[in-house]
Amino acid sequence: MSENMKAVPLPRRYFTPAVIVIAAIAVVGLLFVLARLIFGIGAVTNLSNEFPWGIWIGIDVAAGVALAAGGFTTAALGHIMHKEEYHLITRPALLTAMLGYTFVAAGVGIDLGRYYYIWHPIIMWNGNSALFEVGMCVMIYLTVLYIEFLPIVTERFIGRVNLPGFLKKFNNSIDKLLRILDKGLDKTMFIFIIAGVVLSCLHQSSLGTLMIIAGEKMHPLWQTPVLPLLFLLSAMSVGFPMVIFESYLTSKSFNLKPETHIMSNLGSMVAPLLGIYLSFKIGDMVIRQTFVYLTEFNTASIMFVIEIVIGIVVPLRLFLSPQIQKSPLGLSIAAFLVIFGVFLNRVNSFIVAYTPPYIFENYFPSIGEIFVTAGFIALEILLFRAFVMIFPIVSVPQHSGTKAKFSIRSV
Amino acid sequence: MVDESRRKFLKTTALVGAGITGLSTKTVKAGPKNILDENRMGVLVDTTVCIGCRKCEWACKTAHDLPTQPLDTYEDRSVFEKMRRPDDKALTVVNEYAARETEQFPLNVKVQCMHCDRPACVSACIVGAISKEENGSVIWDTDKCIGCRYCMVACPFQIPAFEFEKAWHPEIRKCDFCFERTKEGKLPACVEICPMEVLTYGTRKSLIERAHQKISLYPDRYVNHVYGQYEVGGTSWLYLASRDFAELQFPKLGTNPAPGVSEAIQHGIFAYFVPPIALYALLGGVMWINKKKAESNKDKEVHHE
Amino acid sequence: MKKLFLILLISFPFVINGQSKFSTTHSNQNLTCSSCHSCTIPTKENPCIKPCPRESMIRVDQKPEEGPRIIVIDKLRDTDIYAPVKFSHLAHAEMSDMTGGCRTCHHYNPPGNVIGCSDCHEVSRNRTDISKPDLKGAYHQQCMTCHRSWSGKTDCIECHAAKEKADLKPVKAKDEKAKRIHPEIKTPDKITYNTKTDRGKLVTFYHNDHTDLFRLECSQCHSNESCAKCHSQIKKPADLKITFAEQHKKCSNCHETKNNCNTCHSNKETERFNHKVSTGFDLSKFHSKLSCIRCHTTPAKFTGLNKDCVTCHGSWSWDNFNHKITGLVLDELHGELDCESCHKEKSYASPSCGDCHDDKTYPKEKPGKLIKR
Repeated sequence: MSENMKAVPLPRRYFTPAVIVIAAIAVVGLLFVLARLIFGIGAVTNLSNEFPWGIWIGIDVAAGVALAAGGFTTAALGHIMHKEEYHLITRPALLTAMLGYTFVAAGVGIDLGRYYYIWHPIIMWNGNSALFEVGMCVMIYLTVLYIEFLPIVTERFIGRVNLPGFLKKFNNSIDKLLRILDKGLDKTMFIFIIAGVVLSCLHQSSLGTLMIIAGEKMHPLWQTPVLPLLFLLSAMSVGFPMVIFESYLTSKSFNLKPETHIMSNLGSMVAPLLGIYLSFKIGDMVIRQTFVYLTEFNTASIMFVIEIVIGIVVPLRLFLSPQIQKSPLGLSIAAFLVIFGVFLNRVNSFIVAYTPPYIFENYFPSIGEIFVTAGFIALEILLFRAFVMIFPIVSVPQHSGTKAKFSIRSV
Repeated sequence: MVDESRRKFLKTTALVGAGITGLSTKTVKAGPKNILDENRMGVLVDTTVCIGCRKCEWACKTAHDLPTQPLDTYEDRSVFEKMRRPDDKALTVVNEYAARETEQFPLNVKVQCMHCDRPACVSACIVGAISKEENGSVIWDTDKCIGCRYCMVACPFQIPAFEFEKAWHPEIRKCDFCFERTKEGKLPACVEICPMEVLTYGTRKSLIERAHQKISLYPDRYVNHVYGQYEVGGTSWLYLASRDFAELQFPKLGTNPAPGVSEAIQHGIFAYFVPPIALYALLGGVMWINKKKAESNKDKEVHHE
Repeated sequence: MKKLFLILLISFPFVINGQSKFSTTHSNQNLTCSSCHSCTIPTKENPCIKPCPRESMIRVDQKPEEGPRIIVIDKLRDTDIYAPVKFSHLAHAEMSDMTGGCRTCHHYNPPGNVIGCSDCHEVSRNRTDISKPDLKGAYHQQCMTCHRSWSGKTDCIECHAAKEKADLKPVKAKDEKAKRIHPEIKTPDKITYNTKTDRGKLVTFYHNDHTDLFRLECSQCHSNESCAKCHSQIKKPADLKITFAEQHKKCSNCHETKNNCNTCHSNKETERFNHKVSTGFDLSKFHSKLSCIRCHTTPAKFTGLNKDCVTCHGSWSWDNFNHKITGLVLDELHGELDCESCHKEKSYASPSCGDCHDDKTYPKEKPGKLIKR
């Protein structure tokens, strides 16, 4: 089946009404970023000495990293387990991961008080710090992701470098460079693919370690020594749902036939992963006897129950149902619930669960924070659309691929 | 062909592994300074003596070149109506807790960095900018700071403050135990000015001894608890009080060091980079086996045809 | 460790020396070992000296005027941000009569001269011995305990002048030249205590009877009182929870307080104590100037005394009694009679005239001339 599928650029009209709305959000978000750079963090956010971290860390970074897990899970499945039929989803997943991590970096960048010192951890090491580990891993992994993406760039441009004006004379040498790059990458790519998976496992779990040091300041429903394991397991279980959901959206958006076969195959792998995650989550709760906090009717207990029931239990049941397995829509709804669950878990862990000893005013994100976060997500969607249109990312059946503006370079 | 690629594969893997191991030894050494000198200094705060004159607040601001109102404005006691916390503009503040029915005076409690023996901020700081010095101070190198505020998340006492309103070069600020002053043999500014000697400066060891002596001399005056002796593995600043510390809004903390299990987990995952390298090798092996299997399958298919 | 040992070794002869000198002075001072040492056998290595304050080591018995009048506290002038305080020692010494006397402040003083704060408390705050406050801390802890309790103020300018404004006088220093003693205290005549007990809520206390009639000195009752007792701006110590014994302590010096609650407790205000009404023995005539203890020799026991004069005075005769004291100078005729000729009763109450005179009765006719006493 996959033999006649081919990744091609999907040339379409870029701006549709939905895209224009998204672009508007992105512009507002960028304006707030500008405001943050000019007037400082305090002027744009509701952050304070009580709540030093807000949604820029909780959503942009923590949830962003988790939801970009599709990259490493599909890489593990497609390349390491060598299941060739999944190769056609590795590219969209890789793109999502690459863009996702780029915006994680951007999110960190604007949240840092001194963003211009973002390179400091590279030379100033603190092996005890979970954040150092996360920072280093994300930096390296981002590089790895860019390297992994390079073959797609070379594939797109080898033999087609066509710079305008006086740059024309560089066309030949750039083409040569791309070819060398392509050849070198082809031979060494496995190093980066394995490294990518290892790095992901490391920082996905370390992201959990991050909040352990908050100790008593974190609500006991979430504060546990196995937090890194829970983060890793949840990242693993959200990887495929992310691919399913985004493949569904892409197919809708670009008017393609959804890859039902691959989606349901991926879906069948979600249930066990989700099951393991759920059992660890419940087991941890039972062992630490934190279920007593569920009897208190407050934000924390409600959010925890939503996270478990709607984010894990319901999609787990859906993924186990044969009817859902066959329906792309059903699968993507189930996938969305998993995504929602993990997203909520990250928000809960970093924001809802964080209760410092002295609170003057509870934290709720400001308009600026919300727009920056929404703007980054919007920007990510816009870039995804642009990349899919420029680069050979999405696989389409060969016969329908004739719409392509460019002829595809033969391998 | 297969042999060659395998050799190449192993070679690269080994190379990568060796490279990372080389770095790992560096990492171990690169941990931030956390000296626990036997004669490290501390301060014993006897809250039962404090009269809430807030001279320490003035002295602290003056010593740290922070803007301050003139000295005589500090006698205004209306500031006690609200609970205050140290921030980037006031590294120490005094709060007042109303006298109970059986007491004549309200209790005043000075708040500042506790200067933990095993500080969470030192462990947390991404660039290792914060360090525990020989004399007990927990200080930081502001040139290293990237403004990530992880130290604020980590601190169990909610002490480090951040200059949120500064767009360029904001700083983390907290009590530095007057490191620059003590280096010259001077006392911390607050200790020096305190009229009542609520703040007794001395080696942590002698302060603990003195604190327990006070408790046994005046059992009616103090609760039998030296806050900071065991909290989060011990702090350089120690407190005595006439009522339960929870009533004075001191966080109730265990005796485990503040970084908690996070360092253990961190070092467990990264024990000399063995687990990551092992995972790398394992995944490499799996990949190689699967690739070989797929190739042989293809070969078979070709042969069958 | 080595260093410490060396220091010990070098100082050994001095320690021996000091020790012997100390021992001789110690024995002269009538002190028990436990006044200073916490263990039974102190050694040179472990002298187990008790930390200050050592309550039993206080020997200050001076009258207020024996001490200095004004002390300028300027030992800290180099480092302090405020100008030195002119401390009116005399005024404070006089006031301390009502609290604990000199020992209120001089909480450690071995026999000999009265020692000042700086004899024990170190001037430098940066020190190794932290078993007692430094001088600045000692001063303020001493002063503020009272000052804050009665004024409720902690303002520095109450006692200090600011250094940079040395011409500005502190609030308290305005009458430094005056002989500062406590202004006259207007004593209440009657205080009615509303107590919490069920059996007799009210205790009517006639304050001036205790001072005038019973001749109690102020300090006999007001011996351990803080200024706040009267001056408190914050909270009256009377509100504090105290035990039964503490509550009745002042009365139980003279009254039996464990039983007989009704003696003082009643449901309505009680009358002023009147010796004549309560006991039938009129003090006003001849005994008004006596202190209670002259007759009621056993403390807290006031009943069972015989009202007969002879109980105290023995039998009267011309040798030990001048009749003029009664306000009646006997005429010559009666002046030669034995006392018992007229005073038949042992109480020497009204005389009977019937033995000699049929037609005369006392007090209609008098055996002499009345004079003004």
